Amino acid sequence: MIKIVKRDEPSRAIFFLTPVLAIFLTLVAGGLIFYILGFKPFEALKFFFIVPIADKYGFSELLLKATPLCLIAIGLSFCFKSNNWNIGAEGQLTFGAIVSGGVALLFYEQEGFYILPIVILAGAIGGMLYASIPAILKTYFNTNEILVSLMLVYVSKLILDYLVVGPWSNPEGFNFPETRQFSDSARLPLLFEGLRIHAGIFLALAAVVISWFIFYKTYLGFQMKVSGFSLKTAKYAGYKGKKMIILVFLISGACAGLAGVGEITGPIGQLHREVSPDYGFTAIIVAFLGRLHPVGIIFASLVVAITYLGAETAQIFMQIPKYTGQVFQGMILFFLLASDYLLFFKFKFIGSKK
Amino acid sequence: MNTNLKISNVTKIYPGCVANDNVSLEFNSGKIYALLGENGAGKSTLVKILSGVIIPDEGKIYLNENNLKLNSPLDAKKNDIGMVFQHFNLFETLSVFENLIIDSDEQREGLREKIDSIMSKYNFSIDLDIPVLNLSAGQKQKVEIIRCLIRSPKVLIMDEPTSVLTEQETSELFLSLKKFSEEGILIIYITHKLKEVMELCDEVAVMRRGKLVSVSEIKNENIETLANKMVGQNLKNIKKKKEKNSSDKLINITNLNFISEDPFETNLSDINFSVNRGECLGIAGISGNGQSELFQVLSGEIISDKNSIEFNKNYIGDLNPQERREYLMAFSPEDRLEQAAIPQMAIFENVALNNYKSSNFFNNGLINENKIKEHSKKIISDFNVNTDNIELKSQFLSGGNLQKLIIGRELITSPDLLICFNPTWGLDVGAINYIHETLIKINEQNKSIILISTDTDELLKLSDKISVIHKGKLSKIMDADEVTSEKLGILMGGGN
Repeated sequence: MIKIVKRDEPSRAIFFLTPVLAIFLTLVAGGLIFYILGFKPFEALKFFFIVPIADKYGFSELLLKATPLCLIAIGLSFCFKSNNWNIGAEGQLTFGAIVSGGVALLFYEQEGFYILPIVILAGAIGGMLYASIPAILKTYFNTNEILVSLMLVYVSKLILDYLVVGPWSNPEGFNFPETRQFSDSARLPLLFEGLRIHAGIFLALAAVVISWFIFYKTYLGFQMKVSGFSLKTAKYAGYKGKKMIILVFLISGACAGLAGVGEITGPIGQLHREVSPDYGFTAIIVAFLGRLHPVGIIFASLVVAITYLGAETAQIFMQIPKYTGQVFQGMILFFLLASDYLLFFKFKFIGSKK
Repeated sequence: MNTNLKISNVTKIYPGCVANDNVSLEFNSGKIYALLGENGAGKSTLVKILSGVIIPDEGKIYLNENNLKLNSPLDAKKNDIGMVFQHFNLFETLSVFENLIIDSDEQREGLREKIDSIMSKYNFSIDLDIPVLNLSAGQKQKVEIIRCLIRSPKVLIMDEPTSVLTEQETSELFLSLKKFSEEGILIIYITHKLKEVMELCDEVAVMRRGKLVSVSEIKNENIETLANKMVGQNLKNIKKKKEKNSSDKLINITNLNFISEDPFETNLSDINFSVNRGECLGIAGISGNGQSELFQVLSGEIISDKNSIEFNKNYIGDLNPQERREYLMAFSPEDRLEQAAIPQMAIFENVALNNYKSSNFFNNGLINENKIKEHSKKIISDFNVNTDNIELKSQFLSGGNLQKLIIGRELITSPDLLICFNPTWGLDVGAINYIHETLIKINEQNKSIILISTDTDELLKLSDKISVIHKGKLSKIMDADEVTSEKLGILMGGGN
């Protein structure tokens, strides 16, 4: 007989094992889905998860996709750890891209070492500005940050749409919805000849280190954590709780904005209609799969990035729609939430006597 | 038509506490009944049983000789028992009319006429088509009452209805209740306010610690006798040793006022008192009379005028809690799980909440984890917290152990003054004794305490001086030796 018993204390080992279990279950369920669709499960999974990263180019593509996911998820971990449910990173990314793209266009056909830092900074500021809207509405007007941040995603996408078809569209672009190409000085350098991986990856790695330091080593991180759990406690301890809430939103917005910078100033080099294939939303899964821990987030971003690549390969070689990638992302989150049950409960095997 | 409501041998047991212990009561229409008792006496449990919110472990309810099965609030409604809760259950953004018809199965149009006739009968004037959020507290209560009246109830239960009302609204309410009673509705009025009982009711049942203490007619009682019954005379004989206290003033509060923007908070007006070194000042009162606001003003969660608080010859009224800790003040709030500690964080992280410049828990913006952990281990051993794992999340500590951790955290810095609010609320006897001993000990070390508590026994046991807070005002400060529980009861109920 199996009995379910509540744990006295969540196990630390299980805490880091459940994401692995979730990935395993996703693979099993994914294989099953492929089987039902009439494919050989193992072969299909191979196309999905191994073929895309089997060569140098594929690996560079993996890092390219993982970079924004990691960057955004690190930012989100600040919000989520302090119980602020910012789910509008996609909007902050888009707005960051708009602001940095606008700045990059100002320097059209100009060169100079100072241009790139300004463009990057503009992206971070754009993301922060956009994240400050739900933050201020939450702290001073008691609105729900989930709704506000989500709705603002659509607003930002419409602004971007307007700009690339309207005022910012390329005059020589035959009415394609895109801007002119940025000058080379406004672009993040590519790291290797022939590969698309760019210097944005260093931004992501820096974010990982800085966030780890802030959260685990500083008084500021401690105050953020306390304020997130309970504003009443923060007040009692003498912290400025509301400022902490705004701060985590700003950090999160800055990270998303930087991800936006990477998307437009990297290999593409212009603003266009689809700056992000929903990286801002997928990063929510990454953040939780990585247990909101900086190192965990690195691994999680790589795993989830594969689903983007796998979906493309599967579309090419197996003629299944690329939305399968989203199915896999959904399954990962689903199984992760389900296996979190094991954090608080354990199975006890009781030998049945006959 | 006469209504007879009988409660027969009702018992309800919660883990660690008997909320209702074999309670039997009988009510007849034509009279207004008071159910009187302190916080935690069991009156709310009893009325929740009557209104179907709680199902009793044992016992039966009879209405006109019919045994009622009250498994849900809907059952109570179907059986003509109406209940107006202390906190309103209204949809703020819906109109008055929508709120009134929301749980009704009658025709919409017929209802409007019915509501109009109820309103004209009892002289209620409320615009049915404005949203509820535009109403005053008294009007909202009328909406709740009308909602009950639509169903022509036989029994109407009012749970502490005047706690949010002004004086004038209260007297209007009393007029209406008397009128309902004349119409034949049986009224049960739950309160801890003695004056109201004397003014409104015909019969009074007193509860204490889950038991029914007495049932009597109002004409045979007065405020003193009722207070006595409510508080109980079983004073603890363990009292702390009275020593000659110093006359060295540690904290002096002058003309402290607090006006809240939140209608559910109590304003504090003209608070004046002082506490000497080595002294414990007890502040008694029924909860919701401004204790929480007073605690926050003293701790610095609410900032007041700089000169209104003088501590150790410094004016500190405008400092936040962290800055006040620097002057050797310490605070133990009422709510252990939502304010004093964070259950999801480890024990040592919770210890770090009591930090100020000289605690050195944080240096140059960095966490000094070794220092915090060392400190935490000391607290755990000095204050008998039953664990040896300081990395344990504090949600896994029992209430008693968590409170020991909190008190320990506050005391280990040897503050000159500890301000605590209901420090033993909800704890078992062993933990209560430990906390009481600890508090007595710090007085012996010539440190002072301000003890805000709703537990009269605790106050009489620990305090040197006692004052009572009522509607945000403090009574004069009395010597604890000269105070009786009876006198406290009267002051707590707003008498003189």
